[in-house]
Amino acid sequence: MKTRVNLILTLAFALTTLMACEPGPKDIMIGQDECAHCRMIISDKPFGSQMVSTTGKTWFFDSVECLAAYELTGGLEQDRIHSRWVPDFESPDTWVNAHEAHYLYSDQLRSPMGLNLSAYENRRHAEANQNSYGGEIKAWLGVMQLVNEAWLDGRETIPAAN
Amino acid sequence: MKNLKKRILLLLSLLLVLSVSLLASDREIRVESSIQLAIDQSEPGDVIIIPAGVYEESGITIETARIILRGEDGAVIDGMKGGAHIIVIKADSVQVEGLTIRNTGLSHVRDLSAVRVESASGVIIRDNVFEDSMFSVYLSRAKDSLVERNRISGGGDRESNSGNGIHLFDTERITVRENQIHHHRDGIYLEFAKEVRITDNIATDNRRYGLHYMFSRDSEYSRNEFRRNNAGVAVMYSQEVDMSGNIFADNVGPASYGILLKDIDNSLISNNRFLNNTIGIYSEGSNGVQIEKNLFERNGWAVKIWANSTRNVFTDNAFIDNTFDVATNSRQHYNTFERNYWSRYDGYDLEGDGIGDVPHRPVRLYSIIVERNPISLILHRSLFIDVLDLAERVMPALTPETLVDEYPLMKSPLP
Repeated sequence: MKTRVNLILTLAFALTTLMACEPGPKDIMIGQDECAHCRMIISDKPFGSQMVSTTGKTWFFDSVECLAAYELTGGLEQDRIHSRWVPDFESPDTWVNAHEAHYLYSDQLRSPMGLNLSAYENRRHAEANQNSYGGEIKAWLGVMQLVNEAWLDGRETIPAAN
Repeated sequence: MKNLKKRILLLLSLLLVLSVSLLASDREIRVESSIQLAIDQSEPGDVIIIPAGVYEESGITIETARIILRGEDGAVIDGMKGGAHIIVIKADSVQVEGLTIRNTGLSHVRDLSAVRVESASGVIIRDNVFEDSMFSVYLSRAKDSLVERNRISGGGDRESNSGNGIHLFDTERITVRENQIHHHRDGIYLEFAKEVRITDNIATDNRRYGLHYMFSRDSEYSRNEFRRNNAGVAVMYSQEVDMSGNIFADNVGPASYGILLKDIDNSLISNNRFLNNTIGIYSEGSNGVQIEKNLFERNGWAVKIWANSTRNVFTDNAFIDNTFDVATNSRQHYNTFERNYWSRYDGYDLEGDGIGDVPHRPVRLYSIIVERNPISLILHRSLFIDVLDLAERVMPALTPETLVDEYPLMKSPLP
């Protein structure tokens, strides 16, 4: 009996440890954390983004464009990037994988770094805001291209999706 | 006949005078109940007087040029947190003065403003009191305008939603002077601004920056006071910024700076006082900045300058009682430190020319250890650290060899 309890406990422990090991997004302390790319204090929750390394370390950014610029300028080596996360503009507590998000590029929704990108989990929400505010819908690759051209004169090569 | 001609002439000139005076008439309109109604009835040049009282109005739109909106003592426009701009100015040479304007409410898609100027020029906003608005004064694509002597207090209790005190977006030739701004996100914010002068303002206790410069050029801020702002002042991605005679004090926190310089080119920082900040000046990717005649006193780090900052010149500054005078992240560096006063300097001046005979190395070995391993801060003030620092000064092994003041001053050059 005792050994069985021990076994269950050990399994439960192993399981929780394993679960805890999968790197994922963390909460940004709005108004406290600094953008790893531009050093600005992050104060707009609907834009604050992050990058997670394979070892579970996180880098926070004040905007989608800073996240893209950090990757383009080699802030973290490609093989060390585990995932990138952007907030859903409609419900900023939800983290969306940057590769799966839909982005609206619209002058009328101003972002902290002036490239005016907002991210959405649901494409219909992006389209709804496009109807109200105008602009263009992009995928992550399009965001990378935009940031590369707008900020880096198009001199970086865009990494393949991973 | 001649007489008639004369009479006609007289009549004509009379008519002319009359019409001119009519055009220029400072017709006064007293607001009865609705401010918008009075504005709708106004003609260019009119003065709209708002008597004491609380006016629950928002979305007030001014499309008549050259009108003056003047509040008498106790005139308050209250937006009742209705989620709309309170006054929107879309015409040239409009003035708004003597009013108390409050309560825009919050929004996460719209930049709600107490007074918003849209694509107008010659606008004057002066002597108003702003309370509890998301943005207090918001100038979008404005030119040749003045914002002065306003008392501005932000309200947004939720950091993520609160906006800026004075917000300039895509503006030219704006003067912002003698305002007091507190409890906003950024006290004064500039994005894509040109030829803007910001003088004699006091920005305290703002949730992010006292002043925040983005993508701007050819501008000046001087004689302002920035105290206890959560993160100090940030000057980012801009050129030709003149920063003189300001006070940066008590900006304390893990990411708090007197000035954060990020990608700044060809600018001047002179005659400022940096007192009791976590970091006085933090410089990353900034080039060709002249830093002269500044006082750095009682800061954690007076200057943190990253190796990607080049051609910056520090001269005639006084570094007094800072925990660290200069810190950097590399042994390579391409900046000049010359003729500064360092209270930590322990050399001598046998020639008596006021310049120390031994060069001074302002980067302590300890600062490099702390940079790599922040926990070692607990060794601060220990004998061990003093010995390390001394050994390093005698024989630099880890500190940047070329970061040296060859002509350290024996006395502070500042009055």
